[in-house]
Amino acid sequence: MEESRIGIYVCWCGTNIAKMVDVETVAKEIEKMENVVIARDYKYMCSDPGQDLIINDIKEHNLNRIVVAACSPRIHELTFKNALKNAGLNPYLFEMANIREQVSWVHTDREEATKKAMDLVRAAVVRVNFHEPLDKLSVDVDPATLIIGGGIAGMSATLMIANAGKKVFLIEKNKELGGNLVNIDLTFPHMDSVQQLLQPKIQKIKDHPNIELFLETEIKEIVGYVGNFETKITTYEGKEKELKFGNIIVATGLKLFDPSKIANYGYAKLPNVVTSLEFEKMLLSGIIHKENGNEPKNVAIIHCVGSRNEEYHGYCSRTCCMTALKYANQVRSALPDSNIFDIYADMRAFGKGYEEFYTATSKRDIMFLMFDQKNDLPIIRKAGAKDKCDMIIEMNEKLSGESIEVPADLVILMTAMEAYDNAKDIAHTVGISMCGNDFYIEKHPKLDPVATTTDGVYIVGSCQGPKDITDSISQAWAASARILAAISTGRVDVEVTTAKVNEDVCCGCQTCIMVCPYSAISFDKEKNVSIVNEILCKGCGTCGSACPTGAIRCRHFTDKQILSQIEGLMMTSVQKLEIIEEA
Amino acid sequence: MSIRVNPGFIKELTKYGAREWNACFHCGNCTAVCSLTERGILFPRKEIRAIQMGLTEKLASSPEPWLCYYCGDCSENCPRDANPGEIMMSLRRYLTSIYDWTGMAARLYKSYAAHLWFMIFLFLAVIAAFVVFSRIPDSPEVKLNTFAPVHIISLLDHILLIFLGSFLITNIINMYVKIIIKDKTVKIPVWLYFKEAWNAIFQFATQWNITKCQRNNWYWFGHWFLFTGYILMFVMVIFFLDWFQTEEIHPFYHPQRILGYYVTAGFLFATIYFMIGRYRKKKEIFKYSHHSDWIFVVLLFLLAFTGIFIHIFRVNGMALPTYYAYVLHLAVEVPMVVTFVAFSKWSHLAYRPLAIYFAHLKKSARALQEKNKIEFVTQ
Ligand SMILES: Cc1cc2nc3c(=O)[nH]c(=O)nc-3n(C[C@H](O)[C@H](O)[C@H](O)COP(=O)(O)OP(=O)(O)OC[C@H]3O[C@@H](n4cnc5c(N)ncnc54)[C@H](O)[C@@H]3O)c2cc1C
Ligand code: SF4
Ligand code: SF4
Ligand code: SF4
Ligand code: SF4
Repeated sequence: MEESRIGIYVCWCGTNIAKMVDVETVAKEIEKMENVVIARDYKYMCSDPGQDLIINDIKEHNLNRIVVAACSPRIHELTFKNALKNAGLNPYLFEMANIREQVSWVHTDREEATKKAMDLVRAAVVRVNFHEPLDKLSVDVDPATLIIGGGIAGMSATLMIANAGKKVFLIEKNKELGGNLVNIDLTFPHMDSVQQLLQPKIQKIKDHPNIELFLETEIKEIVGYVGNFETKITTYEGKEKELKFGNIIVATGLKLFDPSKIANYGYAKLPNVVTSLEFEKMLLSGIIHKENGNEPKNVAIIHCVGSRNEEYHGYCSRTCCMTALKYANQVRSALPDSNIFDIYADMRAFGKGYEEFYTATSKRDIMFLMFDQKNDLPIIRKAGAKDKCDMIIEMNEKLSGESIEVPADLVILMTAMEAYDNAKDIAHTVGISMCGNDFYIEKHPKLDPVATTTDGVYIVGSCQGPKDITDSISQAWAASARILAAISTGRVDVEVTTAKVNEDVCCGCQTCIMVCPYSAISFDKEKNVSIVNEILCKGCGTCGSACPTGAIRCRHFTDKQILSQIEGLMMTSVQKLEIIEEA
Repeated sequence: MSIRVNPGFIKELTKYGAREWNACFHCGNCTAVCSLTERGILFPRKEIRAIQMGLTEKLASSPEPWLCYYCGDCSENCPRDANPGEIMMSLRRYLTSIYDWTGMAARLYKSYAAHLWFMIFLFLAVIAAFVVFSRIPDSPEVKLNTFAPVHIISLLDHILLIFLGSFLITNIINMYVKIIIKDKTVKIPVWLYFKEAWNAIFQFATQWNITKCQRNNWYWFGHWFLFTGYILMFVMVIFFLDWFQTEEIHPFYHPQRILGYYVTAGFLFATIYFMIGRYRKKKEIFKYSHHSDWIFVVLLFLLAFTGIFIHIFRVNGMALPTYYAYVLHLAVEVPMVVTFVAFSKWSHLAYRPLAIYFAHLKKSARALQEKNKIEFVTQ
């Protein structure tokens, strides 16, 4: 192995790091370590002059390993790897020490913080000695796309990709397209007809030459990897069909919470307590009525039913506040003399034009009453003979501090929206993860909101979390653009920090196959050894640690690299390295 | 005990001038900026909430609306332009009507036409009474006491006083019942009535609270000038009319003339200041004018105006014009007094200091209850 010539770069991050870590001392101390050729500190390493510093040093001092001590690698690892590439060095000959999130931001004693920063940099320096150059891998992309879920999100993505001239397979488990919108009358805040937005799209999909639509169909298993996925489906006519595609969009949406779980509201016991979706159907039918067909005199709308309460769902279902205002407007227009009560916990008007919608609605003679969603839910009971209404809602009104009674003849529950019970199955089929609430998790909540940790799989619409039509469509088109870009490039890069089986050592026990969460390992019966598919492997390392014979080596996370890093961390002063023998 | 909300109440209150009540989203800015709220006496947000929910009993038992002098700070600082100041004003009109058991106040406040027609009726009635009962003296000199003998006018004044006074007093009792007796959440010890009385008297005499919130002290001055003029006139007309309405023309430094000038100056200053304000609509307090506001200032102005003419004609010995001016003066005064003193705007002269009194009574009594509760718990 050639001799290491290491360059160290300690970043100030403005004052973010420098105010809590004595960066100069860190650089000076580390410079004394073996194989370190040069150690510098600089105000902003990620800036262009910062990167140039690295590039010039590589050329001038003939460096072959680089360590940057700065922020989290999640933020700038790629930046520095590119700098190495630009200087003609393999980007894997690089290691980052996080002295911001793990040091300066979380400590208050400057001396101790500086010591810890040094330890972390030492660990990185010792480790980088054992880094090996790795080569890039890329694969062809099949230009077809699979879209699961034919709600507004899935339909929008389908049309976008198909209109760009690419093949789309659209899978919908129901008899018809449209998802939740099938039963919705008008949209907030503009009060447009949903059906007028929806039906033309459905027709276009049915007529489109690039779209193959499979209704009443569900997907059980998908094999393959980004660019080259495959599945077998059984259509509702019972035909088996094999599909091949390069990318997947998951757009499976969500469903409504069952409010009978909340005893206070008497859903399913009191006849005129309905869910939002049931009320939409009533609106679509053209008349607002009680169960006996009569017109209600007092209409109450209750928000956050099953949302924002740890007993049910801790999250906010996001669209129900505006939907509630939509109903208040619709009831006011249909029944001008009715009393309307909007019983809310907080009014969330998050989107463009929504606050204005709230303001306009609040002027339509609607009584807004506030309750405590965490500790003090209203209670609905049957009214007495003297009450002149069918039901009484008892509640502690927060803004007045009074215990009040609200008359009601029809109560609309703004039921929470929750993931489908089988959300997990889909997650497993396409290899993506779920958050605690069973919504799918995006790759990065800010910087990569529609991709997932599985390359080639995207999540759009309300399967990622409750959202309105606008946001669902925005996501659908964002994912479509990502996919069209990948298709037009023709090839995609895949990560090479993967596991590799040493066939001579593998005993064929198949432990690795059982533990791999990405189904990346298959068994070669002839040779009696396991084989890792490099494109499916995420380099998580699970198999490496489970393998009883030590046959699996994870590139960039070899035993030697990890143990040397630990060794570096334990050094309290500069000392000669002991080369750790590979097991 | 829970209270039933009343969505219909809002429709009722809009007839008293409430507007934009539904714009309020309870940020509380208005209460925070109001210079007159204090711990235990909070407004206007709380009252706006009670309006939105139609908590009529709660409103009836609140003295707070009377504590507001309508400086407009709240309206200026309201992020939703809910006009809390004007809502408080409309609430005072509403409260005046519910204290009034005859239903007269409600009728006058809710209908411009009713108020106007009633005034015109009284105006004509006064003129008719003179036409029927009065004889113009045969003398070229001014013989006002022959035309309108002081003892008869004085007698009529007293009858009017007893008549209107009994309405006002019963309304006040009604107010007391609503604010103090019906509010079961608070019990007031008798000694507190004495302790809190001085503050109410001080406020009645000075209206000092206005200076706390009016950055423009002209408003306070105008209001106070009008108030003292009104009280002086009341005392002179009711108790000393024979000293005030004389045939003899005193020299201008005579107290009779000086007092007359004072009252007239007060009326003129205040009414002109208010009329210009209401016309320009620059200050919050003048931005919205209910019909009762306009009728009130215009009548007051006419009262001062006809008074001046009586004086000028009399001093110059112009008999006939003096009599006509006198008739007009009374024809303006009677409807003014009859409609406003017990049933409309002018009753605030009694309600406001009493409300201040009641508010502090309740506040102190609540503080005592709170203290006793804590002591009870700690023992
Ligand atoms: C009562 C109500 C009123 C609303 N009003 C408005 C409004 O006025 N304005 C507004 O902007 N938003 C409104 N929304 C929100 C709106 O419904 C959503 O934004 C929208 O439906 C999201 O679309 P989606 O495609 O993500 O999900 P969905 O509409 O849920 O569609 C998902 C589709 O995927 C299918 N699917 C699920 N699982 C599978 C599977 N395993 N295999 C195949 N297919 C599958 C489902 O059958 C469904 O067709 C309202 C929501 C509700 C509940
Ligand atoms: S959007 Fe509104 S009603 Fe729905 S959960 Fe959130 S706060 Fe509650
Ligand atoms: S490293 Fe992880 S993903 Fe790769 S084969 Fe092993 S267990 Fe599977
Ligand atoms: S400032 Fe305006 S919005 Fe805020 S509480 Fe007062 S009236 Fe309501
Ligand atoms: S008008 Fe002035 S006194 Fe009245 S509530 Fe508003 S801020 Fe207070």
